[in-house]
Amino acid sequence: MSTEEHPTPDRTPDPAPQGTAPRSLAEALRARDDASLSALLRTRPDLITPVPTDLTQLATRAGTRASVVRALERLDRFALQTAEALAVASDPAARDELLALLAGDDNDPAVTAAFPHALGTLREQALVWGPDDRLRLVRTARELLAPSPQHPSPTGLGPTVAEATAGMSPGRIQEIVAEAGLPTTHDSVSAVASLTALFTDRSRMSALLDTAPAEAVDVLSRLVWGPPYGQVTADPARHLRWLIDRGLLLPTAPGTVVLPREVALHLRAGRAHRVTEPVAPAVEAARTHRPQVVDSAAAGQAYTALATVEELLKDWHEGGPAVLRAGGLSVRDLKRTAVALDVAEPIAAFWVELAYAAGLLASDGEADERYAATPAYDEWLERPAAERWATLTSAWLAATRTAGLIGGRDTKDRTLSALGPGLDRSAAPEVRHRVLALLATLPEGAAATPDSVLAHLQWERPLRGDRSAAEDLRARLARWTLSESELLGVTGRGALSAQGRALLGLPSASARESGARAPSGPGDKLPAHKHHRPAVEAPLSETPRSPAEQAAAVAHAARLLAPLLPEPLDHVLLQADLTAVAPGPLERPLADTLGVLADVESKGGATVYRFTPGSVRRALDAGRSASDLHAFLAAHSRTPVPQPLAYLIDDVARRHGHLRIGAASAYVRCDDDALLSEILADKRSQGLRLRRLAPTVLAALADPAALLEGLRSMGFAPAAESAEGDVLITRAHAHRTPPRSAPVPVPDGPPVPDATLLGAAVRAIRAGDLASTTPRKDTQAPAPGNSELPRTSSAETLATMQAAVMTGEAVWIGYVNAEGAASQRVIAPIRVEGGFVTAYDHTADEVRTYPLHRVTGVAELADDQP
Amino acid sequence: MNGPLIVQSDKTLLLEVDHEQADACRRAIAPFAELERAPEHIHTYRVTPLGLWNARAAGHDAEQVVDALVEFSRYPVPHALLVDIAETMDRYGRLTLSKHPAHGLVLTTTDRPVLEEILRSKRVIPLVGNRIDPDTVAVHPSERGQIKQTLLKLGWPAEDLAGYVDGEAHPIELAEDGWALRPYQKQAVENFWHGGSGVVVLPCGAGKTLVGAGSMAQAKATTLILVTNTVSARQWKHELVKRTSLTEDEIGEYSGTRKEIRPVTIATYQVLTTKRKGVYPHLELFDSRDWGLIVYDEVHLLPAPVFKFTADLQARRRLGLTATLVREDGRESDVFSLIGPKRFDAPWKEIEAQGYIAPADCVEVRVNLTDSERLAYATAETEEKYRFCATTATKRKVTEALVRKFAGQQILVIGQYIDQLDELGEHLNAPVIKGETSNAQREKLFGAFREGEISVLVVSKVANFSIDLPEATVAIQVSGTFGSRQEEAQRLGRVLRPKADGHQAHFYSVVARDTIDQDFAAHRQRFLAEQGYAYRIVDADELLADN
Repeated sequence: MSTEEHPTPDRTPDPAPQGTAPRSLAEALRARDDASLSALLRTRPDLITPVPTDLTQLATRAGTRASVVRALERLDRFALQTAEALAVASDPAARDELLALLAGDDNDPAVTAAFPHALGTLREQALVWGPDDRLRLVRTARELLAPSPQHPSPTGLGPTVAEATAGMSPGRIQEIVAEAGLPTTHDSVSAVASLTALFTDRSRMSALLDTAPAEAVDVLSRLVWGPPYGQVTADPARHLRWLIDRGLLLPTAPGTVVLPREVALHLRAGRAHRVTEPVAPAVEAARTHRPQVVDSAAAGQAYTALATVEELLKDWHEGGPAVLRAGGLSVRDLKRTAVALDVAEPIAAFWVELAYAAGLLASDGEADERYAATPAYDEWLERPAAERWATLTSAWLAATRTAGLIGGRDTKDRTLSALGPGLDRSAAPEVRHRVLALLATLPEGAAATPDSVLAHLQWERPLRGDRSAAEDLRARLARWTLSESELLGVTGRGALSAQGRALLGLPSASARESGARAPSGPGDKLPAHKHHRPAVEAPLSETPRSPAEQAAAVAHAARLLAPLLPEPLDHVLLQADLTAVAPGPLERPLADTLGVLADVESKGGATVYRFTPGSVRRALDAGRSASDLHAFLAAHSRTPVPQPLAYLIDDVARRHGHLRIGAASAYVRCDDDALLSEILADKRSQGLRLRRLAPTVLAALADPAALLEGLRSMGFAPAAESAEGDVLITRAHAHRTPPRSAPVPVPDGPPVPDATLLGAAVRAIRAGDLASTTPRKDTQAPAPGNSELPRTSSAETLATMQAAVMTGEAVWIGYVNAEGAASQRVIAPIRVEGGFVTAYDHTADEVRTYPLHRVTGVAELADDQP
Repeated sequence: MNGPLIVQSDKTLLLEVDHEQADACRRAIAPFAELERAPEHIHTYRVTPLGLWNARAAGHDAEQVVDALVEFSRYPVPHALLVDIAETMDRYGRLTLSKHPAHGLVLTTTDRPVLEEILRSKRVIPLVGNRIDPDTVAVHPSERGQIKQTLLKLGWPAEDLAGYVDGEAHPIELAEDGWALRPYQKQAVENFWHGGSGVVVLPCGAGKTLVGAGSMAQAKATTLILVTNTVSARQWKHELVKRTSLTEDEIGEYSGTRKEIRPVTIATYQVLTTKRKGVYPHLELFDSRDWGLIVYDEVHLLPAPVFKFTADLQARRRLGLTATLVREDGRESDVFSLIGPKRFDAPWKEIEAQGYIAPADCVEVRVNLTDSERLAYATAETEEKYRFCATTATKRKVTEALVRKFAGQQILVIGQYIDQLDELGEHLNAPVIKGETSNAQREKLFGAFREGEISVLVVSKVANFSIDLPEATVAIQVSGTFGSRQEEAQRLGRVLRPKADGHQAHFYSVVARDTIDQDFAAHRQRFLAEQGYAYRIVDADELLADN
């Protein structure tokens, strides 16, 4: 294979002009026009990050493994199958050979029809290059897709005869050729070639297979669709031997045989794939409703969506739930919210995420962080309903956060919480667009079966290998899209509504009819973008719309929706069972007031309110008076206000505020109200801030002492009163502390010791005395004075200790304890090991263990007492 | 889209009564939705799984239900709700109970996983026998009711195709001489007979006994009738003799005093639930004959032991009769699962509009406690509070005033507390009927009242039910069993029998203001208010002043 990246130096290096075959991918790219190149870069944007300096570099980059994998993963199933077929074809392959691999011997017309487009796609994406008679798959792609024992090909094909016989002895090859009924040749290459020719010749091959034993045919049929490898024993059965002898099975390793690619293709009637899927499975209509029904159902749901978001944020009005330390909403708060919204938890999670995505709610960023509505929410509330819907929907379409994941677990097995981290899935917006675009391919009013949508999506973006998790994600995203679009009213009863269509920027279905699948023209050498394709065929992500276009589409959708939304009403129906029914959405001020005055009992298209003493009290607390409420109800009721309701309001109002509560720090009471009037009339009492509560009681904001003082200064003779109402007798103040305990006596000397202590003391003294007074033998070290610690080298110390263990004698040691205090001790060592000496300490009268390194020195006790 | 119906997301349906399509809509939704409230402007229906399954049992499918909703709905019906309805209805019929020629009663499924699921339930295991084949399991015949009830609770209702026993035949005909079943009574009988078993809900005074008699004439078999008390039993007997071909001798009374078992036997709940040495000796009455029909009068009062026994009677036809299927113990669903679904239900106001029950003026009279009473009320023990405010002396004055006001009409004074009643009886110079009054005495007094010999009767709660006093036109309620909604409705029912001269009935409820009496009254009135009876509120002072 010639190098793709660099033109072969001995040929003309200048770009191959149109018409001459390019010799490398770089040349092929060079030959493409600007539109074609920009189409390449649009589909493979990774190639221009960063922008390559020249086409050679672009070609190099297009051949890198990461980029090729990415490109392959974005191919639709048929394009991928075409690439896979090319990978098992000869290199380079002629167009017809490739087509034969896909269409099979029976020349499937559907495949033939779809083939030019698929090939065009591969060319456009620079995965395939070269003229029609010399099609080449980019080398990396070939490596990825071609079969090898380690990576079985999705085609299930094995190696070619040439590859499989590469290491075989020439003699063996000649034997096979002879067995196969071919004339022997003089070299292996020609032998392999003639064998290959036999295997690829349908009629000769059929003739050969006709002579095969039945079991042999059976074996072949087991291997034909792959995996092509089989196990054989050292002494294979007769029918296996028959196959092996004729090269229909070729050995790859001891005990393993493979079905050569040519044989498999013969048995498969030339097809590289068991099922070639030239066209995407059609999206099936589950049922069809009248478009008006769909639109109005969607509008109804759109209205519900608005009401729900509003209700959610109203619920969080006075401080929403706390933000978890790891971010997000706790499971309990989500549960609570779900109960408040009267929906299932996953649905509640969706609304919460939607409001978040639309910027209507966020964390408040305070020290004790909570979720709350944003200022944008207040603006949003003021806008017309259709615009509010448009805001929510466009936020949803573009969001990468996916509410469907909530409640699941991430790769580290942490629960994914609503509003929390880890919910972003970059594929989400694209899948949403695709799902809606697929729904748009159906006639207006038709609802798709979810399975057919999923099948179509899977065709568009099949996944190579076993990436079941990722596979799962796209399918799940699609399912979520279907249910979420229903919740939002983008679809109604499962079918895309007119406003949903407008949201995608699609013309209405009737206008689109003409754009049926255009037959692919002759120019399949041209990159795919030159083919006319129906608008819906192209994934929308391929042709991103400008923000202006998007805004226009959204505005159009809102315009379509607006007339379908119910008009707010200005009246309710009051009933004698103390309920009020609003037979539709209410004007906001009316709804707000009624929401305070009555409890909501049932929600939906209409709202049922119930008046209870509690709800009426709430309205009175909110500053309404009974007459206000009567007037309000009379004004907004279509029917006369029922008497029980009027009574309820009057009853509650009568008792409302009957008890009054206020703050006062002191009071003045007096049986003589004239005296109190006199106090109040006195200007000097103003500072005491007195208020008459009853004829005989004044409340004061001044404290009792100041009040007493003030009244005395005014010439009255007040007496203080205790909490029980007794007169307090004022005496000189005796200042007292809070309860305190008496100090503990600190005696001069120590307490008299008891007998135990004394005994211990004596013993210690005696031992110490023994240590200090016992005459000891002279050591080599400078003789320590009586007060000094003995000092010996550590080796000597060890030796002396060990000797003492043997003899059982006591020795005299100097010892420095952990605090650094030095002491002298007399010990009788018991054992010495591991740097410690265990000894009976005469001083302490017990067995102790001393680290040897703390022993400053050791001296033997003198045997003779002085 | 301007239909009369609003479908709420909580599965309630609001029907605008004054809408021109209201009647058509009512007919369309009646098979699957329960009428919950019927006040003046907007009626509330509720869609429940039970209702949907009953609709399935009656041959309606999800498509029809959805169509009815979509057709009459003013706003788009929430998609989720439609899906839910379809899914719920789809659960019905996956399991069927039927008679197998070899294995007796069997439970079969069309959906094997469902059978596997329910067979794993601890509650089902003791009710079933051997697995006959992968789709069939034997059921102990005695557990027919129990398994239906259990499966209903598990959300997989079984369709009961095992049929009914005919019972011992006995000729019964309606003696329609000079009278005929009213259209709604006919409808009720028809619905019941078609459904096999079930509950008929009719307002007090709308002639439930005749629905019973009509059903018996359909069954033409021996019948067991269960009633609340002896007086009621006698009334049934009287009515049956009058309205059917049955003679006195064919009807037996099975009560505390008499134990007769005849082709038609009327038993009281009390005697059935008498427990002696831990057993119910009289429950064998159910097995004493091969009954072809069992009628449960005032089914809302069905006592718990009878519930249990009814579960074993699934092979017999069962008819439940009630005016107020509200149980403060919330066991309405047990009534439905054991006796049968609601087969007929007529809003009170509708029957009133047809002239079969008297129009009633419901008035709540609010009396103020005197200052000393208020003080006493405030300091009363919690459990004594209701008694205290309910028996305030002011109520006596109001009652007297009302009796004076309606002098010449037949007046019932109804109360809870015997002391209060005795005192009232004394002041009004009227006889008192209470628990200790003998049956003979009761019947004598009721008879005299019917004849107009006495015009005022003071009664305790013994007269709550089934006492037929057609001429009573005024009821004055001075106290009640706390917040019992059905008691209120039953008491109103005492005056709803249509009057010979067609004039209005009056129902006065005397309530002490600003006390728990008022709170209870509000709760008691809820059922009637939801049936469209708008209470007027009058101050006692006004009333006394007028007088």
